[in-house]
Amino acid sequence: MKQLNRSNTLPASMDLNRIVVIGAGTMGSGIAQWFAQERCQVDLVDTSKEQLEKALRSIHSSWDGLVSKGKLLAPDVERMKRDLSVRALDEVAPDCDLVIEAVIEDLKIKQDLFKQLDSKFSPHTILASNTSSFLITQLSKVLSPERKRRFVGLHFFNPATIMKLVEVIKGKESSPDLCQDLYAWFDQKGKKPALCKDSPGFIVNRVARNFYGEPLRIVGEDSPDRMKEVDEILKQVGGFKMGPFELMDLIGIDVNYSVTCSVWEAYQHEPRFAPHELQKKMVDEKRLGRKTKHGFYQYD
Amino acid sequence: MTNLTLGNLLINFGHGSKVEKAAVLRANDHMKVYMDLTCFDPSEFYQEHPNLCGSFSALFCNETKKIEVHLKERNPGFNRKMEELGFTLIETSVVSCGFVFPRTIVQIINEAYYALGDKVAEREDINRAMKFGVNYPVGPFEWSEGKEQVVKTLLDELYKKTGDKRYLACPLLDT
Repeated sequence: MKQLNRSNTLPASMDLNRIVVIGAGTMGSGIAQWFAQERCQVDLVDTSKEQLEKALRSIHSSWDGLVSKGKLLAPDVERMKRDLSVRALDEVAPDCDLVIEAVIEDLKIKQDLFKQLDSKFSPHTILASNTSSFLITQLSKVLSPERKRRFVGLHFFNPATIMKLVEVIKGKESSPDLCQDLYAWFDQKGKKPALCKDSPGFIVNRVARNFYGEPLRIVGEDSPDRMKEVDEILKQVGGFKMGPFELMDLIGIDVNYSVTCSVWEAYQHEPRFAPHELQKKMVDEKRLGRKTKHGFYQYD
Repeated sequence: MTNLTLGNLLINFGHGSKVEKAAVLRANDHMKVYMDLTCFDPSEFYQEHPNLCGSFSALFCNETKKIEVHLKERNPGFNRKMEELGFTLIETSVVSCGFVFPRTIVQIINEAYYALGDKVAEREDINRAMKFGVNYPVGPFEWSEGKEQVVKTLLDELYKKTGDKRYLACPLLDT
């Protein structure tokens, strides 16, 4: 990987003003909201008009709430509301600076979409994916050779307006200079970007696996009392904001198990990533965490 | 290793091999010993050394100085001394290799080293990703700074005890 000279990352040599975010689910909405807060003109796109309206209501309500709490100024929020539009893909102008895809994690759907985006948008437009499951190089296979240079991974974390990390993922054919410029741009905007190579799980979803896997092996059985003890120790001694068991319950046992399996499979069943049998048992029993009111712990 | 003696109470701090730790216990078989056993399974030591009254894990201690402690025998003198030294003792019932916090973070650190070896990202990016993507209090390389040998010893011990290849230490921890 090209070395990044961080002392030279500022100021960013690129300017991103017009952004298109595709997919108005939780991640897409959060990403669109963050860009609008950063004075970009944003189009949030989805195939469902209902989903777009719901996302817009939720973003506006979030901004209004922040005004009430004194965290944003009303005139700034008025501007943000003007800068953020929701529309269908065919209504979007083709000359934007950056398009970020945040649709369902389905390879065919994503590749079909990128093929369409490649032909629709200007040659200078950067295409990016917020995927956490697929390799950037795998997604870029459907793109023209010129576009492959302008295609990267931009992996945001939920909630995108609060979590500062953006993993800037360089695919096999992504331009190193483009990745460096994006890194600098996000850095300048107050995000904490991390440059990484295109590999399963990127950085976080790979390195964080053992925050869940190891406590499961320490406890080794379905024992809420022992899980509670482990959660408390990791919070008090380790300084983690949440313990692994309460966090898995919040994320969803099924979601966490699925990410674990996907990383494990991508690394050819490397034992370091192996899921724990209790995770599978809980998924089979539909004990999925807070959303089903029963995970490692019971919820009223 | 450092030994602190108060009457018939001995508190052993620091990193040492299994043999060195056992030697301290043998040489002080008339004392009540409380020992840092971050890298080992305290239950093995309890079995072989009746004078071992408690174990604790301070090798990854951060500025809050909260540490895991397992007490086989309560001793107000031990608690008082540890508090005087600024430690807050968090009692645990988990008596297994690496306690809870060290065992969890050495696995996170080990994976960070494997990712570094695979050139997924540089140290600084990995630290930053874990702090700002999943709110870790510090990055994996910040945890392991100057403690690579402790990380390696604990992983080797976990591998010896379990035979599970998930504990194989990244070769970069040796360099």
